[in-house]
Amino acid sequence: MKAILGLFSWESGQVVIQGQPVTMTSHRVLDEVGALIEYPGLYPFLTGYQHLELFANDGPQKQARIQQIIETLKIDSYINQKAKNYSLGMKQKLGIALALLNDPQLVILDEPMNGLDPQATKDLRDLIISQAKKGTTFLISSHILSELEKIVDEVVVLDQGKIIKQAKMADLSIAGQKFILLKTDDNVKAAEALQAAGYQLEVIKDQLKIEQSESNELAKLIKLLSAQQINLVDVAHQQNDLETSLLNILGKHEQDSQVKE
Amino acid sequence: MITLVKQEIYKLLHKKSTLILTVIQLIIMIGTAILIKSKSNLFDPTSAILDGFGGLMWSLFVLIAAAASIIAMEFQHGTIKELLYRRYYRGQILISKWLTIFLYSLYYYVMTFVVALLLKIALFNSAFKFTAIYANNMSYLKIMFLGFLGSFLTLWLLLSLVFLLANIFKSNGAAITVGIVGYFATNLISGVMFLLMNKWEWLKWNPFNMMNLSTQLLEPTAKTMTLLSTQQMVIGNLVYLVIFLALGYFVFQRRNV
Repeated sequence: MKAILGLFSWESGQVVIQGQPVTMTSHRVLDEVGALIEYPGLYPFLTGYQHLELFANDGPQKQARIQQIIETLKIDSYINQKAKNYSLGMKQKLGIALALLNDPQLVILDEPMNGLDPQATKDLRDLIISQAKKGTTFLISSHILSELEKIVDEVVVLDQGKIIKQAKMADLSIAGQKFILLKTDDNVKAAEALQAAGYQLEVIKDQLKIEQSESNELAKLIKLLSAQQINLVDVAHQQNDLETSLLNILGKHEQDSQVKE
Repeated sequence: MITLVKQEIYKLLHKKSTLILTVIQLIIMIGTAILIKSKSNLFDPTSAILDGFGGLMWSLFVLIAAAASIIAMEFQHGTIKELLYRRYYRGQILISKWLTIFLYSLYYYVMTFVVALLLKIALFNSAFKFTAIYANNMSYLKIMFLGFLGSFLTLWLLLSLVFLLANIFKSNGAAITVGIVGYFATNLISGVMFLLMNKWEWLKWNPFNMMNLSTQLLEPTAKTMTLLSTQQMVIGNLVYLVIFLALGYFVFQRRNV
């Protein structure tokens, strides 16, 4: 991320945004980019409003854009206080406001949920989704996969600085299997019956875990069980989430690299 | 570039210390003037007036601190990232800071000059006439102006070094210390330095010798000690200025943040 923003030197390859190269010393195209890297850098002696005024591009819409971003991020209650009195969450929100201030086409956010309370996290999520619908591209890094899962369309997995997987979210989910968890009044009998019918199953505590390969799988299962006079007590679905998929990918990658060695 | 300089000035003006330091500057100058006036049997007002009633010395400290912090504060607050990942060339960011401090130093020198003139007229009007000849066939006003000019040039030699150090160490403490020590060291070591220069003449080109420019502007005979003509000293100051600024630029361009 720092390399994309021209903050860090790199050994090989090049960074190109909209067909224009980015180097450490020259990067005109970053005009279209907003960012929040690591922690928000703020001047303790300036108020939030003064920060926005300082970094807002000049133009007739300047004041309107500042007001707009203050409203969107709901930071008006403390915008006129000096930044040295801000809490972590307040700083984070102002940092995000600064990243979005000049209506960039690409926004780079590094761990944007840091220090935000649950309400603010949800607000930010909604904001990112609505901005993305308007055509802004977001590049977000995060270790909080459950949050990431709710907003991203495409995932790039890095391990030790190398890209090991780049895929659409939808493709990853398909790669992650779906399961049906059954609880019956006689699990032993049910397991026998299902195995006899050719199902692969796994017994986890008092549940039977069966892979769902067709959409009408459940109907078939119910028919089969009721034919055997077995009553269903509970049915649950389980889908591999981003975390499980990622751990699988990382695990595979590690195995592969060990094999190569 | 104008936008960047405006932004730097905006930050400078919104620091509380900026206003306070100017007020202290005025208090020092007025206080010194009143003290000298009240003890006129002990002090000769002439040299105090020509030194801006202590204002020049204070300006030097303020400007060294300002030059160090305009660079170091960005690293300290982490704001250097926000400054750099914009459409501007990296070099422009640094140059805008140089220009801001240049304007700030002009402000201090002009203010000190004008206030010193006003205090002279208000309190010591009878001491001498500005147009009268002071020494070396130069009027008081010309001597005062040359003193300020020489001080300004040597100040910038120090500031270019401070910019470089603030860039390398990313902290204003080290840069300020070296700047101020550098200023005093010139007076302390000049005796030894002149001795060594008599032995090895090429030593006359060392930067500490360049710091004697103000003295030599006022007292042309000083060149028997500095071994340089006034013109050579002016050029020497500018050459060191360019070298230090260029080194700072070089470091800044390659820094990973």
